[in-house]
Amino acid sequence: MTEKVKLTWNGKQIEAVKGSNLLQAALDNGQEVAHYCYHAGLSIAGVCRMCMVEQDGVPRPFPSCNATCGEGMVIRNDTPKIKAAVENTLQFHLLNHPLDCPVCDQAGECGLQDYYMKHGQYDSQMIDKKVHKEKVQDIGKNVMLDAERCILCSRCTRFTEEVTKTNELGILNRGDHAEITVNENLKNDYAQNLVDICPVGALTSKDFRFKQRVWFLEEVYTTCIGCETGCSVKVSQNKNGSYRVKPVFDETVNGHWMCDDGRSIYKHVSSPTRLQVASENMNGLFVPADESRVVELVTGKKANFILSTSLTNEEYARFFESIKGSKASVALYTLPTQGPEFDGILRRGDKNANLRGAQKAFEAAGFDHTSAGLDKVLNAISASDVAYVVVPEILYNEDHFNTLLKKIEKASTRIALTPGETLSSMKVFNYLLPVPSFLEKEGHIVNFQGTQRQLNAGLSYGETTKDISYYGKWVNV
Amino acid sequence: MSSHSPNQTHSMGAPFKFTDANLATYQEYLTRYDDVESALLPVLHLVQEQIKWLPQEAIEYVSVLMNIPEIKIKEVISFYDMFYDVPVGRNMVHVCTNITCSMFGGREIYAGLLKHFDTDYLTPTRDGRISLQKMECLGACEMAPCMRINNDYVGPVDLADAINKLEELP
Amino acid sequence: MERIMEKDTANYKDYSLLSYHHIPGVHNLEVFERAGGYEMMKACFDKDPEAIKEVVKASGLRGRGGAGFPTGVKWGFFTKDRNAQKYLLCNADESEPGTFKDRYLVEKNPHILIEGMIISAWALGTQKGYIYIRGEFQQQAVILERALKEAYAKGYLGKNILGKGFNFDLYVHRGAGAYICGEETGMISSLEGKKGQPKLKPPFPAIKGYRGLPTMVNNVESLAAVPWIMRFGADEYKKWGTEKSAGTKLFSISGDVNKPGVIEVPLGTTLKEIIEVHCGGMRNGNKLKAVVPGGSSAPVFNHDESYSVKMDYEDVASKGSMLGSGAIIVLDETRNIGDLMKWTLEFYHHESCGQCTPCREGTGWLESIFKRRETGKASKADIDTLDKTAASMRGQTICALADAAAMPAQGMIKSFRSELEAYIMTPTNTGKK
Repeated sequence: MTEKVKLTWNGKQIEAVKGSNLLQAALDNGQEVAHYCYHAGLSIAGVCRMCMVEQDGVPRPFPSCNATCGEGMVIRNDTPKIKAAVENTLQFHLLNHPLDCPVCDQAGECGLQDYYMKHGQYDSQMIDKKVHKEKVQDIGKNVMLDAERCILCSRCTRFTEEVTKTNELGILNRGDHAEITVNENLKNDYAQNLVDICPVGALTSKDFRFKQRVWFLEEVYTTCIGCETGCSVKVSQNKNGSYRVKPVFDETVNGHWMCDDGRSIYKHVSSPTRLQVASENMNGLFVPADESRVVELVTGKKANFILSTSLTNEEYARFFESIKGSKASVALYTLPTQGPEFDGILRRGDKNANLRGAQKAFEAAGFDHTSAGLDKVLNAISASDVAYVVVPEILYNEDHFNTLLKKIEKASTRIALTPGETLSSMKVFNYLLPVPSFLEKEGHIVNFQGTQRQLNAGLSYGETTKDISYYGKWVNV
Repeated sequence: MSSHSPNQTHSMGAPFKFTDANLATYQEYLTRYDDVESALLPVLHLVQEQIKWLPQEAIEYVSVLMNIPEIKIKEVISFYDMFYDVPVGRNMVHVCTNITCSMFGGREIYAGLLKHFDTDYLTPTRDGRISLQKMECLGACEMAPCMRINNDYVGPVDLADAINKLEELP
Repeated sequence: MERIMEKDTANYKDYSLLSYHHIPGVHNLEVFERAGGYEMMKACFDKDPEAIKEVVKASGLRGRGGAGFPTGVKWGFFTKDRNAQKYLLCNADESEPGTFKDRYLVEKNPHILIEGMIISAWALGTQKGYIYIRGEFQQQAVILERALKEAYAKGYLGKNILGKGFNFDLYVHRGAGAYICGEETGMISSLEGKKGQPKLKPPFPAIKGYRGLPTMVNNVESLAAVPWIMRFGADEYKKWGTEKSAGTKLFSISGDVNKPGVIEVPLGTTLKEIIEVHCGGMRNGNKLKAVVPGGSSAPVFNHDESYSVKMDYEDVASKGSMLGSGAIIVLDETRNIGDLMKWTLEFYHHESCGQCTPCREGTGWLESIFKRRETGKASKADIDTLDKTAASMRGQTICALADAAAMPAQGMIKSFRSELEAYIMTPTNTGKK
């Protein structure tokens, strides 16, 4: 299919797809190549001049980002000439940079800082007045711009031009007065990617700003459950909580990006109002309750389970296993469509992260997953029944959910199984029981393409070992 | 040419639109190129022929007319010395301050004119008559020191000549 | 130019480019044609396009914009597919400081360029062409537009030219004041309605240029030389100039000479002859101190170099500078090289397009270092810092602007170091300017 070629990089033989990007091939083969403007998800700008290489038989050095792989190429970026060039160019990058690393959120993951430690470490001969530009500007969508820190790599302007096609950003003026400028505040729904692709601290997240030093965070690689796309993401967290979500490159699903909605999917997980333990409704106030009291209450009663669509395949399977042989009714609550079916980039209107997994599990267990099935279960609920509702983990439309809650009111015992925060609408329940959030479990979901996606567990913030099958077992007590 | 912080925009305080004649010229421009974007520089020149500068309202008008994002138009305006996003005088005077003209006093002429007309780079004189702009090589070094008064090249000139010529401007 | 020529008759013997310049009113098509203009265009339509390319290649004509790359070789990179959509772009940006030859050529004789472009378009098979002229040359743009109108009226441009089944539309496109638009890919960006920022090469414009389509960019002077070359042949053209620098060249001479202006002389003419004979010698009888031989980006020659150099690509290069656009700036003994350095560095700082880091930051820094005397921070070692900084900018960027700023700076340091040291150590508040 794709023809492979062999080339030599700093004396080491590497293999790459013929005609593919030379810089990317080097990076993919674990070679270290300094670069700021190159980004695999954007067009080639070739302006930072850091990825310069020499090739046997080619008289002048050239940027590897603008070259393609060919058989037998002999490339070096470790020659004295290239090393000196990179060091000089780094010095040019830092010339008008404010060097305010101690107060910069990018510190620890900054391209300038990284390469300075490796290639720089000289004494600055810059005693002249630096060019001043606009400092802290709120440019909308939770993005802050500091034009002085900017090294004009143009990744952000290429992003708003090529990916979102919204063109909010541009570079005005010439020469060292060139400056990133917003024509209007950011209006695209992918704005947080700008923070990710900015190689320095010029674009930072208002949400993350000053909250944590990056070296105090660990990453959990998982899947976004914000919609049926199922983007690969990583969540940064420590024992105090989770702090941000970033996309992880995934060729088959999301490429390099994720939408802004997905950036906040972590918020309920370590929220102070997250349900941590079993709680009982005492005149509208939820107070910690003894679980055995709940078990006592449901024993012998007919159970009706309304499941959500963002549980893992494994959870559905374990759940149906747990209620095997019982007379329990089970239905599936699907979230209503939100916005257009597809926004042309990544985000989809169907917010049911694992609808396909849920449907398959229902069918395998012989239950009806359709809305007719849900109506049937809801209509059949009688006063003596128990109604269990698994609260959707990401609830875009609370009103729609509340209409569901109205329909379970006739059951005398109403129990919510929730991975999230206690909402005011939950007063309809007698008991709230915690279940693990998507960040606290291993398992799989199936996205809109029918592709299996992996969820991984990070740190736990509540009673997260008891998933819905734990409560399912109560039907047979 | 952006003479100020790039985040500011300057308004003319009224909507802009092309005159009928200029709209016809625009249509003629479109026939010259194989895409609309290529006509941007001629169109910006045309706006300046009509109102001398490029206020926010004109940027918005051109953006809609040509379906080019505003930021792209602003980038272009800021890049070229002869596009003005600030109000300028009725007459535009370019004074060359490049090598040959500087050898023959071009810089002193520019400084002298600023002083005489009590103004600054691009800032229109109080009567709105003249804007002065120092320019890089105007490509007329045989007449150094030279200047461009509207579209006319003059040179060699000395400060007194220059003042006289400018004082005659309407 | 002092040679006596018969009025209304072209002087092809002494000139290839200025052969019509003495003819009053030659900007009118009728006058131009009466003197022999457009004859070659008509003749060329009966020639095989490839044969025309061969003649241009054999003539040794080299790009007159500054780089001196052989025009015929450049044409050879162009697609031979005559049906493919492609463009011919004439570079009339003439932004290199000291250069005014193209202006001089087209304002008097716009038709020689148009004739050259039609022949070139036929040879190259381009269906559309643009003359990109710098924004400041508004009057020259008007002159060209008028000439184009005349050519259209005669059927020399447009659809089915002279019934030969060949279409070629030609338009004038005005720039708006940016040096970098003289760089061919910067020019293409500008024509596309964008900032005039140079594009990464490869791909080269001949393969992927304006609107992503094959585009041939040639300087005014190169294109205007084509009719003469086609009229008399490559061998006749090569009788002018040297083995490797064939033909005649326009030189723009300014500064401390008695008669500044544009001349056309064979390549290889000595700079001494140009100054002494063609420009009437040094102004006020002063002694020559230095010459910038090829536009502001060319390293400066000192007195001895100036009087020994022959103005062809090889000889100027062998003495450490470049012929460039043929812009000669002459400085006499009253001039301070420090001023020349200051003006040069200011220019490149102002004109850097801001794309590539070494140029964006470097051009500004060179100026800052050299102007430290204005803030009382200067030290003699600054000249070394300047030299080193300039050296580190070279060969690192998309286009040659960084080199164009660094080369003259390093050249001045090489030839006039002690004068520059004295200059930077003189605080500006003590009167020296």
